[in-house]
Amino acid sequence: MTKGRKQGGMNRRAVLKGGAGLFAGASLYGLMARGAFAQEQVLKIANGGFDMDWSPLRGGGRILRWQSFWWATPMYFDSEGELHPYVVTSWTPNEDMSAWTFKLDPSATFSDGSKITAADLKGSWELAAMPSSRHVRINQVLSGVQGYDEVVGGAAKEMPGIVAQDEETLVVTLKGPDPIFFMRIANELVPVLKPSEARDENGEEVLEWFAPDMGGVSSGPFKLVEMNLDDGFLAFEPNENFFGKKPQLTRVEIRSVEDPVTATTLLQQGEYQAHTELVTSTVIDDLGPEFSTGPSIPTGQHFWFNVNSEPFNDVNVRKAFIMAVDRAAMMQASFPKGPHKQADQLLVAVPGVDPEFEPYPYDPAQAKELLAQSSYGGAERLPRIVMVGIGSPAQKAAAQFMVEQWRQNLGVSAVELLERQDNFAPADVHIFRDDIGTRVPDAVAFLAGGIRTGGGIASGKMNGYSNPEIDKLLDEAAALPVDDPQRDAKARQAQKLFRDDWGYIPWYYETMSRWALPNVSNMDKNLDWQVVNPWDVTIS
Amino acid sequence: MLVYILRRLLLWIPAVFLVLLGVYALAFYGAGDPIKLIFLRSPGDVAFDPARIEAIRESAGLNQPFLVQFWNYIWNVLHGNFGNSLLSGRSVWRSISAAAPVSMQIGLLAIAITALVAIPLGVLAALRQNTALDYAILGTALFLWAVPPYVAGPLLMVLLLVVFPQADMSYGWGGLLDARIILPLLVISFHPIALIVRQTRAAVIEVLSEDFVRTARAKGLPAHKIVLRHVLRPVLTPVVTQLGLIMITLVNGAIFVELVFGLPGLGRLTIQSLLNSDYPIILAVTLIASVLVMVSNLLVDLAYPLLDPRAAARRST
Repeated sequence: MTKGRKQGGMNRRAVLKGGAGLFAGASLYGLMARGAFAQEQVLKIANGGFDMDWSPLRGGGRILRWQSFWWATPMYFDSEGELHPYVVTSWTPNEDMSAWTFKLDPSATFSDGSKITAADLKGSWELAAMPSSRHVRINQVLSGVQGYDEVVGGAAKEMPGIVAQDEETLVVTLKGPDPIFFMRIANELVPVLKPSEARDENGEEVLEWFAPDMGGVSSGPFKLVEMNLDDGFLAFEPNENFFGKKPQLTRVEIRSVEDPVTATTLLQQGEYQAHTELVTSTVIDDLGPEFSTGPSIPTGQHFWFNVNSEPFNDVNVRKAFIMAVDRAAMMQASFPKGPHKQADQLLVAVPGVDPEFEPYPYDPAQAKELLAQSSYGGAERLPRIVMVGIGSPAQKAAAQFMVEQWRQNLGVSAVELLERQDNFAPADVHIFRDDIGTRVPDAVAFLAGGIRTGGGIASGKMNGYSNPEIDKLLDEAAALPVDDPQRDAKARQAQKLFRDDWGYIPWYYETMSRWALPNVSNMDKNLDWQVVNPWDVTIS
Repeated sequence: MLVYILRRLLLWIPAVFLVLLGVYALAFYGAGDPIKLIFLRSPGDVAFDPARIEAIRESAGLNQPFLVQFWNYIWNVLHGNFGNSLLSGRSVWRSISAAAPVSMQIGLLAIAITALVAIPLGVLAALRQNTALDYAILGTALFLWAVPPYVAGPLLMVLLLVVFPQADMSYGWGGLLDARIILPLLVISFHPIALIVRQTRAAVIEVLSEDFVRTARAKGLPAHKIVLRHVLRPVLTPVVTQLGLIMITLVNGAIFVELVFGLPGLGRLTIQSLLNSDYPIILAVTLIASVLVMVSNLLVDLAYPLLDPRAAARRST
């Protein structure tokens, strides 16, 4: 007689079967989930232009915004403005800060596994300075280095001021003391490249040396694996030889999407998760507030007067045009739901911001009086005002608001708005909309790059604005150590002098928007307009 | 016929040369050189350093006088070298040869769609003149004509997603057999269809009152044979001319449609090169456009005798 199975119970075999099944099911689910998670870690970025040149040596443009994904830098700033080591782990000045010694991370490698050496940094910087590289901002980084002028003028291919003492030591000798030189190289304006690939036998840049079919190597957390510029498409995958933290994303794709309506729709659909720079007046409504949030960075957008041509060579005209505009209302008209903040002074998000800065008043009555006191006697004799740099919806909203204010408060009606300037004829452009900023959290660098004689704003937008007192203050401040309170004090004095020249209409301070959907994490950006930690970016 | 074709080809050469000279001069003296523009249009932290800009221009060969640069360009073109983009350094031929096939395919398919859709609708509207069908066809044509492609494109894209939320966005190029081409083809065809419908209708109405049509009716021919054999041939002559002109526009690249739908065609390339004053590419696109105009005109001229024997007779005398 055999023992029968207990009615309604489970025997050992059934339990084991069930347990095995459960284990198999759980394993399968885990594999699928991991696969699904891995599959979803593809960041698709809409790039708002059809860019055909992705060389990291141009120092500007939309392509610069994504460089932290595939190019390492000597150091980098985080979104709070704190400096972090990267390829360079330490930096030491000499006594008078006219020479700096940089030590490289011995484990730093390119994507092909070869070591990043001091000679690579030297070669990268020299290549960036050569005329054929067309780097628009190299002066901000290397203009203080001995031998820079010869290279940038095309007379030489090497800078004797940059010496690779050994594989891990780079010594830079400057023309004079520069306490913040170490900050100047902490950005993607001087990414770390492999000169043996990027330079030909003449020392010039090899066309598209970074392309996958050219065997291009990267130094950042991702490497370029696909590039179809005719289709406006690039794809990156993790750099298996990256010397830092391993990236979470499995792939990054960038595609040209010029039309903002299309781009917004693609983002709303979730087909794309990020944008290079999407600025529309309805971006908050379309994509939510989190899409555009971010930290304040040392950059501001303002309207600059051509101070050396009629009619704004008359300070009373400038005063009238400034005081006739209700800037708070203009801000409301252009960014009704944020994310940017209204500006008054130039300095923002740097040590040295002036807490006692006196903003320009809104005083229509006095504005009209000032215009009457000017050499023009009133609005009737003013020439047609041409304002340039009015392209995006927010810029149009602000410009049209100002035009209406000038019409109502001053009787000025002949104002022409243009999107871009095609030829610099100083007498023809009266007001430029443009930004002023810095990639270095330093008030002196902020102002020197803009309003000092020869600075970007002074020379390019204000038709050669020059105030020797401002230059003197900034030059004196530049030689002072970072922790000397006089450095910022002199910068504030220079700013005040510029304010008293009535050379601009303040608009807003830039918020370094994430331009990414809420399900994309760790897309914080810094004052270099870069994603700070591209290796940490994930999609949930 | 061969002599006629050769004579036309010879007349092209001075015409193309003059076009290139004019465009080169406009780009050179009008918009200014692209290196200066890079600095002019850069944000305010970029210094406008004349010395550096001049060094860059010299390295790119842009400091040469106009005639020297133009002559070098013509010499290179005659040797099959269209030069390099002043901004990206890429070969112009490479950029054009990637973009042109896309525009050609889209343009030719749009023309085919236009001919297949618009001509029958125009004939139908004319045959049912002043009926509800006629008004419906004309009204639709008017609506299609009134809506610009840069409005129609985004609207249709959004409408598609509202109706079919799970559908993929119609963006990018995957070839003529890819479903993503449907929407841009529709948008690109709207204006040509509207134009051809109205032109065909007007031409058919005019021809229907001709004596030979009355005679054909009197002979007892069925209506469809009257239309196909007697009405269409004289109608198609002006319509083919119009289609030829439309083809030039479409193949050169429908800029707005390419921008909105992300099609890597000549239109997109053209607009970028124009905005950046990248004149090697501007000149190459102009050259292609000029050749297309001339080829299209030649083809239309060659097609006339097939449609209208009187034209062949006139040509032979």
